[in-house]
Amino acid sequence: MDAIEVLSNVLASTLRLATPLILAAMAGLLSFQVGLVNIALEGLMLTGAFVAVAVGFIIGSTWVGILAACVIGALLAALFSIFVTDLRANLIVSGLAVNFLAAGGTAYLIQIIFHASGTFAPPELESLTAAQIPILSSLPFFGKVFFSHTPLVYVSWLVIPLVGLFLYKTPAGIHIRAIGDDIEAARTAGIAVRKMQYLALMLGGGLCGLAGAHLAVGDLALFRENMTAGRGFIALAAVYFAAGRPRSAALACLLFGLFEALQFRLQMTSSTPPQFFQMLPYVIVVLMLTLISIRKEWKKGW
Amino acid sequence: MRILMDQALNIARMLITLLLALLIGGVIIQLSGKDAVNAYQVVWNSAFGNDRAIANTLLAATPLIFTGLATLVAFRAGIFNVGVEGSLYVGAFAAAWVGFTFTQLPGTILISLAFVVGGIVGGLWSLIPGYLKARLRVDEIVTTIMLNYVAILFTDYLVNGPFLVPGMANAMSLEVAPQAQLARIVPKSQWNISFFIALAIFVLVLLLIWRTTLGYEIRSVGTNPIFSRSSGMPVGRIILEVMFLSGFIGGLAGAGQALGVHYRFVAGFSRGLGFDGIVVALLGRNSPVGVLISALFFGALRNGSSSMEMFTQIPRDLIDILIAIIIFFVAIDLGFNWLLKRLVPQTITPPTIQPSTVD
Repeated sequence: MDAIEVLSNVLASTLRLATPLILAAMAGLLSFQVGLVNIALEGLMLTGAFVAVAVGFIIGSTWVGILAACVIGALLAALFSIFVTDLRANLIVSGLAVNFLAAGGTAYLIQIIFHASGTFAPPELESLTAAQIPILSSLPFFGKVFFSHTPLVYVSWLVIPLVGLFLYKTPAGIHIRAIGDDIEAARTAGIAVRKMQYLALMLGGGLCGLAGAHLAVGDLALFRENMTAGRGFIALAAVYFAAGRPRSAALACLLFGLFEALQFRLQMTSSTPPQFFQMLPYVIVVLMLTLISIRKEWKKGW
Repeated sequence: MRILMDQALNIARMLITLLLALLIGGVIIQLSGKDAVNAYQVVWNSAFGNDRAIANTLLAATPLIFTGLATLVAFRAGIFNVGVEGSLYVGAFAAAWVGFTFTQLPGTILISLAFVVGGIVGGLWSLIPGYLKARLRVDEIVTTIMLNYVAILFTDYLVNGPFLVPGMANAMSLEVAPQAQLARIVPKSQWNISFFIALAIFVLVLLLIWRTTLGYEIRSVGTNPIFSRSSGMPVGRIILEVMFLSGFIGGLAGAGQALGVHYRFVAGFSRGLGFDGIVVALLGRNSPVGVLISALFFGALRNGSSSMEMFTQIPRDLIDILIAIIIFFVAIDLGFNWLLKRLVPQTITPPTIQPSTVD
């Protein structure tokens, strides 16, 4: 394999691996902007992955499964919102509860419904097929990198500007950001705080469902216990890193995606133990969080 | 007297939470087409039915006492340390390493050394996010979660690389020296004396929180960080000490499992003992006594759930669902306390310390 081909492979898988991160980061961004730190991204994603496979298999349609993942993601986020807004539950602790519920619930249900343990990979369920964009996909190099992906990859690219538009150009988005800025002032100004928090969290839940669906049926068609493997937290770190700006968050996700892609690549070719490459994305998150903190402290005059 | 009343009230709340969770769990079992009463009977019998059952419950509770206390120490200082799992892994490896390396040492010394080294390594590990938080104000939640993955992968590398034992099917280290293997107490059960070490740590944590300066500082920083900072407390140093301590206890948890249960380090052995510690600390409402009780409860559940899965085909993952329900209840309650504070601010008594640097 020549260098160009290796490069195009790595870049293409970067975009593919960044997709669930981008979708989840946009979800995290919506809650960040409404002033809620969303620890639950991980659990929402895992639920989405499970629902996409389970419903897709039962109905016999991958796309129905993906739709269901969105809906259930939004509903689980609604449950989270009830706890956080109406019941005044502790935000971090209830986020943790959502994650436990998702991990335990999905592991429980694959055994109860499908009598599978650990992994459920129904051969009847089809994964998404790559949508080759006409003409563009036949371009040398770029065709492979950018235009030969499964549909959800393109969806994730659309979601970035859409979330930006929503937050900065629509009344609801502006209200959401106002709440994040100063919740008391927003309340005094007559903004429906509770409603907006529900909206932000539920939209995020839908996006997380989509993110999980991409993990589950984007390339393969299977659900594995804890298959999200911390991606929800990586997405959350991208939001912190970007200080809530959609484009920067997406860039951070691409960077994480690149490290993940490199990790897979290097594992195949290098003699360095694979564990070090597997650590890479997590170490990078810690380093990035450290960097932004240094930058912040620097600005404050260290 | 007041403290005793509070304790009693806390324990009552805890029991109500547990009962409600079990009730909802029962509904879930019924909805899954199984018999809830039968399932809980199986859990009860295999958790408390005979000596061996009780021993196994205490066995399952042992690491949870450690990880619960480790989490509690951090929580009390207002630090959300989710990294006990990581400390547990590095601590377990370090303890096993001592156990299979210094094989000529006599038992008591070797065991003590293994625990201390395990604790120190666990503590140092948790100083990484501790330092980032104390000096650079990096939020500890995400960093500790990320570092858990790193610890799991790193120890996995160790037993697959430099400490690989040829001919072993699974990734595990050498067995520790016979004199380093903790004594087991009841026949046919792995219950071992690390349980009593956990109890000793419980007493030490109790003393630490209520009888030492550091304990006082921890409580003060936890309840009112801004006040503590402005009254001249070295908040950064306290965070470092707390994170070390929390990681140290987490490392002890790992040492106990390595020397008492597996007799070696096994890659990926924990499967969430550190995370269960968070739940134990939350349910125990941040009191050491509460942690002890809820660790015993979770020990019984974890122990009983294996038999439940075997005899009734109800997946043991049900326990994680129960855990989620319990955390939700705890979360509401924490929110409720916060609401109470907001509504009746005059009832909270600020920490009674003289501000030493008012400027």
